[in-house]
Amino acid sequence: MHISEGVLSAPVLVAGGVLAAGGVGLGLRRMTPDKIPAVALLSSTFFVASLIHVPLGPASVHLVLNGLTGLVLGWMAFPALLVGLALQAVLFQFGGLTTLGVNTCIMAAPAVAVSYLFQPFAGSLNRILVFVSGALCGALALLTSSVLIALCLVFTGRHFLEVAQLTVAAHVPIMVIEGMLSGFTVLFLRKVKPEILGAAADVISPA
Amino acid sequence: MGSNVPLIELRGVCFRYPGGSLIHDELDFVLQTGGRVGVMGQNGAGKTSLFHLIVGLLQPDSGEIRVLGRPRCQERDFWEVRQKIGLLFQDPDDQLFCPTVGEDVAFGPLNLGRSRQQVMQIVQRTLEALDLAHLQDRVTHHLSGGEKRLVSLATVLAMEPDALLLDEPTAGLAEGMVERLIGILNEHVQTCAIISHNRHFLERCTDVMVQLHGGKVVPF
Amino acid sequence: MNLDPFSRGTSALHRRDPRVKLVVATAYAVVVAVMQDMAALVPALMLAVLLTGWARLPWRPLLRRLLVVNGFVAVLWMFLPFTHPGTPVYHVGRLTASREGVIYAANLTLRTNTIVLATMALLGTTPVFDLVHALHHLRVPEKLAQVAFFTIRYLDVIYREYLRLRNAMRVRCFKPRTSLHTYISYAHLVGMLLVRSYERSQRVYQAMLCRGFQGSFPVYRHFSLVRSDLVFGTIMLLAIGMLWLL
Repeated sequence: MHISEGVLSAPVLVAGGVLAAGGVGLGLRRMTPDKIPAVALLSSTFFVASLIHVPLGPASVHLVLNGLTGLVLGWMAFPALLVGLALQAVLFQFGGLTTLGVNTCIMAAPAVAVSYLFQPFAGSLNRILVFVSGALCGALALLTSSVLIALCLVFTGRHFLEVAQLTVAAHVPIMVIEGMLSGFTVLFLRKVKPEILGAAADVISPA
Repeated sequence: MGSNVPLIELRGVCFRYPGGSLIHDELDFVLQTGGRVGVMGQNGAGKTSLFHLIVGLLQPDSGEIRVLGRPRCQERDFWEVRQKIGLLFQDPDDQLFCPTVGEDVAFGPLNLGRSRQQVMQIVQRTLEALDLAHLQDRVTHHLSGGEKRLVSLATVLAMEPDALLLDEPTAGLAEGMVERLIGILNEHVQTCAIISHNRHFLERCTDVMVQLHGGKVVPF
Repeated sequence: MNLDPFSRGTSALHRRDPRVKLVVATAYAVVVAVMQDMAALVPALMLAVLLTGWARLPWRPLLRRLLVVNGFVAVLWMFLPFTHPGTPVYHVGRLTASREGVIYAANLTLRTNTIVLATMALLGTTPVFDLVHALHHLRVPEKLAQVAFFTIRYLDVIYREYLRLRNAMRVRCFKPRTSLHTYISYAHLVGMLLVRSYERSQRVYQAMLCRGFQGSFPVYRHFSLVRSDLVFGTIMLLAIGMLWLL
């Protein structure tokens, strides 16, 4: 999920850059040297997962999984997603250099928010609670990201209002897919490797 | 289908990886129903890619692949092939991806459209046959290498294939596990082709041995 | 995974110092992103086209990428001329397009394409690892550069792991559909990739410790700035400065 180069106004780009720098700074501060490989490899994994296209009726959508990224990495989702977005910008020309800050905020801010909301429940012993918290994590993060895209557009110009509304509407079906997938993935992690879900726990509450 | 029609038949198959050198050069390979073939050859001789060509994970540059008496060219053709020809990957970790053993064994039958009830029965039957019933609810990722190997064999057998292609099934197995594997193969598998470096193993579970050499299949 | 298809070229642009290219690309993108005037945008686009030609990028992937970017731009064209207030110029059904809206959309199109072309020509011609290396020299926080380095290093490893698992699913007759079974299977695939990566990262860290890692990487290879790099950088920055003033 990203906004292309050349669309947004200077104030929006600058604000995005400043906020992203703050978030990345906080993430880096919480990232002790022993966490660097884990953050990086999870970041590559989320990058690879975003290449997966999931069928949805006659069309297909690609996964975003920023909610899951937040759940696993907490504040470290900022640097992880920044790296992912920078790679997409340089390698595929998705997003771009000047929109890097804005796009990082669009993806990472909801990721951090849902990690605060749902991290305590994701490690629960109750399978339904685990699934529901994972699903809400995925769905709400994606929805919030699309709302942030819409806000960036509207702050750039009032005439973007219709495009912004369309953006949010288009993300509703994707939200359902993201929710389900995130829910089942969190169930998987809970069962196979619960410490991944705990990895962010000590990061959310600063030591 | 007449009994003299080979189950798997490759004629004049040429294959190279994009940008790589020629792996298969006018290769011919036949597996008859009931046949048990051991495939040997050096690293990089193209043993794994031979199996991958048969199930359509790779496409040949030229030549013909016939499975169950029919030519197979497109992804659609290979879907039927994969129901009938089971492939056991070299590394069980490439094959197993579900949280528990039971779910992984159920994956294939579910893809074939069996009902939940049938799938439950298949899973139970398959695991019992391989003496793995006690692992059904275990987390696959936490099993030992040998257990993972047997479980991945179970995931393939659960699809009730006509033939099995096994890629280095003894790699990394302890002696006891190899014996157990030989027992399972000789009891539950009629038709198979097995890639292995282990000659004694091949002698005990196959009838014929061939070798991949210079891009062709030659008698061993 | 063919990560950087444009980076294996031999043009003069391919040989420029990655640090210079990174600085020039960033300046170019920033200046163009805030340009409002067609009189400046047209020469800016021409300069980007010139750079693209100079880099001799393979045109097939180039066109494919431009197509993707302009697909999004096309959606904006369906809205902006009609939603932007101003002097009416044409009608589609009951909708009225304004002159200002059309100009706005045209400017946006120019900006997007200029930056995308310039990025491809300047950064696409640099291997990604060299870019990370350059970031390190340009005083990007070290931990961030390390995350970037490892992310790129293991991208291909994880991608191939993903392909092997997906092949194994295909061999067991998996066909993606709009079904719960499909979504659960994909979730397991993602979960398994995460678990494997996480465990691999533990081993990577242990191996780093064994080789004396204490939080920072010594830089082994250095870039050397030659005169043609300085000339190129100066000319480009001057040109970008002039576009800014236009």
